[in-house]
Amino acid sequence: MISSINPTIKAFAILIPGILLSFTFDVFTPLVYFLFILIVTFTMSDIPFIKWLKIFSPFLLVALSFAWMTILYTNQTFSYGEVLFTLFGIEITRGSMITGISLALRSLCFVCLSILFALTTNSTKFMLSLMQQCKVSPKITYGILAGYRFLPMFRDELQILRQAHRIRGFGRTKGIKGKWQQFRRYSIPLLANGIRKAERVAIAMESKGFTGDTDRTYYHEMNVSPKDWIFFFLIVGAFFIILAFSYYLGYLNIFGKQF
Amino acid sequence: MTKHWKLKEIVLMSILGVVFGIIYLAFFLVGQGIRNVLAPFGLAPFGYEIIFGIWFIVSIVAAYIIRKPGVAFTAELIAGVTEVLLGTAAGPGLIIAAAIQGLGAEFAFAITKWKDYRLRILILSGVFAAVFSFTWNLFSSGNIALAPALLIAMLAVRIISGALLAGVLGKWLSDKLAKTGVLRGYALGKEIQKKREKDAA
Repeated sequence: MISSINPTIKAFAILIPGILLSFTFDVFTPLVYFLFILIVTFTMSDIPFIKWLKIFSPFLLVALSFAWMTILYTNQTFSYGEVLFTLFGIEITRGSMITGISLALRSLCFVCLSILFALTTNSTKFMLSLMQQCKVSPKITYGILAGYRFLPMFRDELQILRQAHRIRGFGRTKGIKGKWQQFRRYSIPLLANGIRKAERVAIAMESKGFTGDTDRTYYHEMNVSPKDWIFFFLIVGAFFIILAFSYYLGYLNIFGKQF
Repeated sequence: MTKHWKLKEIVLMSILGVVFGIIYLAFFLVGQGIRNVLAPFGLAPFGYEIIFGIWFIVSIVAAYIIRKPGVAFTAELIAGVTEVLLGTAAGPGLIIAAAIQGLGAEFAFAITKWKDYRLRILILSGVFAAVFSFTWNLFSSGNIALAPALLIAMLAVRIISGALLAGVLGKWLSDKLAKTGVLRGYALGKEIQKKREKDAA
């Protein structure tokens, strides 16, 4: 199961194909990889399909609009091939069509990979693993975890502020000017309270003996097992295999250069 | 680098990172909204560019308050990590984007050897963040396939947005915060305290 994979390894496994995918401009490579990620998502994790669809579907629209924009505004390197049709005086070529669809598929790949990561990763474990595997300073990781813990408190605090304002007769406001004033009324007190809390937490951490020394013991030990590397090589390796296939079939296109 | 930071400065950085991480996520929706409004006019690519500066603001706020090397970079990175932890669809790749924006913002402070925190440097920081992130987007979101004229227009809008929404708004926000007195333990608060004493004397 993907949720038990070491978070740091998982992050790198998702990052590397994500970056490499940015170099391809053909349809075949991102399409096949997209299908591959879908298969991984629904066979190796227990993400419910409905939940996945809810997060994924808005981005389908974003990807479509992005594709449409790219098709309309492609530059010379990418608008190769014959003209398919003209729209508002803009000639749409085969190349610009391919580039647009490729970019949309690529962004869908990113979305899929991210959902896979976000829904199967515990944020505390991710931080602990960054500290233990990537040697990020404990000062920073525990600092982030402390900050992250304040998240639910901000919601409560906003509620309190709102009620305090309302009881004193500052109701809701209308219009852009009102919105701006509302932003001013809420943002500063919220941030100020957050900063006060940050200071208090830092003092509490230090008074309890937290020095931020890297030479320390951990309550939760994060380990890297062979299973994590198998996952890593599966995700990254599949990308290279698809790349090789794409090259073999003559589809591969890197930065507008056909191979 | 981390040796020169006090724990309370790091926790402050992460609080700012977390708060602005949420704001950053919210602005994805704002950007999409503006984009939908602009789309009928054929200006859809500018939807995000107009508000792009907001995504650099934490660098400027944190650097302006704490005033130490590496703060602008780290604060932006933390905001990026927060976005990923909260579950953004941009995924772990966003951490790289955040790091590059942070590097851009840090670059402006590095030029002045982390001594000058006047408005013009803060604006410069926003501008550099815009340029750095734009270069990254050329590759990461395939903008390189777009027409050069459109790219130049997008860059110009992003730079202006970075200067105003990150530089000017960031300074305004930090100054307001300093006024409340909560920053007394940090460089910005100390500077204001000194100024006040000087005025009183």
